[in-house]
Amino acid sequence: MSSFALVGNPNTGKTSLFNTLTTSYEYVGNWAGVTVEKKIGDLKEGGGQLVDLPGIYSLHPLSKDERVATQYLIEETPSALINIVDASQLERNLALSIQLLEYGRPIILGLNMMDVAKSRGIHVDIQKLQEQLGVPVIPLIARTGKGSSEILSTLKDFGAVDSPVLTLDYGAAEEAITDIEKMLTSIPNLPNHRWVALQLLAQNPVILQALSSQIDMAEVDAISNRCEAKLLQAGYISSLPEWIRSVRAGFIEKLCHTVLDRSTQKPHNLTERLDAILTHRYLGIPIFLVFMFLLFKVTFDWIGNPLSDLLDGFISGPVSDGINNALDAVGASSFTHALIVDGIVAGVGGVLVFIPQIFVLFFIISFVEDSGYMARVSLLMDSLMEAVGLNGKAFIPFIIGFGCNVPAVMSARSIEQPKDRLLTTLLIPLMSCSARLPVYALFAGVFFQSHQALVVLSMYVLGIAMALLLCKLFSSYLLKNEANVFIVELPPYRLPQGRSLMRGTWEKGKGFLRKAGTLILGGSVLIWFLSYTGPGGFGVEMDDSFLAKIGGLLATLLAPLGFGTWQAGASLLTGFLAKEIVVSTMNIIYHVPNMEGLQGQIALSFTPLQAYSFMAFVLLYTPCLATVGVIRKETSSWRWTVFSIGYALILAYLISLIIYQGGRLLGFS
Amino acid sequence: MNQSTPLLSLQPGATGSIYAIHDMNPILRRRLYDLGVHEGSVVSMKQRGPFGGPVTLECNGQLLGIRVKEARGIEVSVC
Repeated sequence: MSSFALVGNPNTGKTSLFNTLTTSYEYVGNWAGVTVEKKIGDLKEGGGQLVDLPGIYSLHPLSKDERVATQYLIEETPSALINIVDASQLERNLALSIQLLEYGRPIILGLNMMDVAKSRGIHVDIQKLQEQLGVPVIPLIARTGKGSSEILSTLKDFGAVDSPVLTLDYGAAEEAITDIEKMLTSIPNLPNHRWVALQLLAQNPVILQALSSQIDMAEVDAISNRCEAKLLQAGYISSLPEWIRSVRAGFIEKLCHTVLDRSTQKPHNLTERLDAILTHRYLGIPIFLVFMFLLFKVTFDWIGNPLSDLLDGFISGPVSDGINNALDAVGASSFTHALIVDGIVAGVGGVLVFIPQIFVLFFIISFVEDSGYMARVSLLMDSLMEAVGLNGKAFIPFIIGFGCNVPAVMSARSIEQPKDRLLTTLLIPLMSCSARLPVYALFAGVFFQSHQALVVLSMYVLGIAMALLLCKLFSSYLLKNEANVFIVELPPYRLPQGRSLMRGTWEKGKGFLRKAGTLILGGSVLIWFLSYTGPGGFGVEMDDSFLAKIGGLLATLLAPLGFGTWQAGASLLTGFLAKEIVVSTMNIIYHVPNMEGLQGQIALSFTPLQAYSFMAFVLLYTPCLATVGVIRKETSSWRWTVFSIGYALILAYLISLIIYQGGRLLGFS
Repeated sequence: MNQSTPLLSLQPGATGSIYAIHDMNPILRRRLYDLGVHEGSVVSMKQRGPFGGPVTLECNGQLLGIRVKEARGIEVSVC
């Protein structure tokens, strides 16, 4: 079967195109580094597979996500490449295109963002570009899907023909290229040899590594040294890689001169006006903070909670009654009845009522991602992040972490320096994800009714404050960082489209629903079973159940924190599976029919101070199972994975202890 | 051609062509090169960041932010 690969600069719309060309859907956003892993989908009208690669500026990678793309090109043989090029940034984008044209596979050039280029008065002569490069050039507007049918029809009868390889004249380096090509003749399964030779001479680390066991690297070094000596003789002071780059740059300059008309080019008016306010020296940060506060106001007070109450009424009313009646009608045993009503309905339903808050939060996060504000936030936060030994870019994974920690850990891949990346990965679990939200909503609803949004916001702020503090600590003592660097591309702002916002929200929220149907369902059954059975047999009193015994083991340990009950111990223990399960467990333990009943029970079992201490503990203690898994995968180290669990437990214990004991000293209860 | 001046001495909105780049972290230098910022390219100063934070530059219609301490190594000649 044929397979095609999408290659191009970061944030040029590869994934948008991928979503219109294939039957699958992947995550899109308006900043560089959204896609960090290759994604594979089936082309819509059949005819093969499409691979979406992380964005790269050149084949010479700096960060981990960029390595994925280069590795793909050396290891696989795609039938053809689709090179997505930002028409409003043609010159910069062509630097990659040249290397892809040298790669020797058939190529389609997808000229994306034609609308942006047009509105900025940049005119690209498509006919001429096509003639000069010798490959088909198709104008696109990937966001709206315009041009995608042309791509599909071009792909259909494309893979079979070999398109001409672009051959530039590298002058003084030609002899070295020929010498290396000779060394490659005996090696099977290589892409175009001239391409490989050029990449070797340009010191591309991925290609050097891939071939290190197959050819004599000392010989390669000797050839490049000879060539550099020759360059020097001819009066060029540049190194060989620089020479190769400059030849390409010269070609691009000439090309752009013929195909590009910028005589009517206009500045980014809207973007510059917005930036003048949103990234203003003094106003930028206050605006960001106000934005965050509004986010919580909307999520909780204004939209989330009223909808959540309606949903609760529906689940505890018609749904529960219906299930009860149905169970009576089929004559279910009391065991089955208890399992379904006290276990599954209580456990899963108790989490599902928070769907509104979670979806509203995801909607706002999607808006930030699509609008282009994300990159600005990293700019605003850089000074603060630099002070604690990291850089502003790490703030992007932090914000994604508010939705879910798992994709946040993945997105840290786009951070250039390995130590920065590790540090960010370790700290992401402190970002309060949407799974922790049901816990806050439940407790804040009971104890802090008049200041719900503020109390919940304080949890997020506590998480960020702890992340900054630990960052300083880790970067000073544990992961001493060589000078870290910061550079961020600021894409033009754009108004997110309703369709893509809905899609983005749904794709994030789907994970939550899936979790409710799997992990939380299973967890609820298990918890209910442990609460139903005990050393004394089945149907024991809750206080004599296995669950009470297990939770009781933790109770003494948790007593200094203000919640030394077996109920709290048991729900925290099960919360390791997924933090929503804390709420499920409480629903089952206090077996109550609806939120109101649970709130009443909780009001009896906790004081406001104890509740706050408990919320802080849930925020900070061990990352959930899925996050631990992805940390292990991304760091490839059990040591760091165990470290991330360990520091979180210690931190949670200390902070809750300070909150509870400190609060008592201050006279709170 | 005029004499070269530090990039940071440019007023917001002013433009210059890069004359030299000194003492820059190699990773950053590569990334800037990728974005089309190198000797000879025309950049304009857009904005100073908050609390001595990153400066916003424009090059070929691309906006980007880098730290002040790194921007200090860039010399431009005002056109």
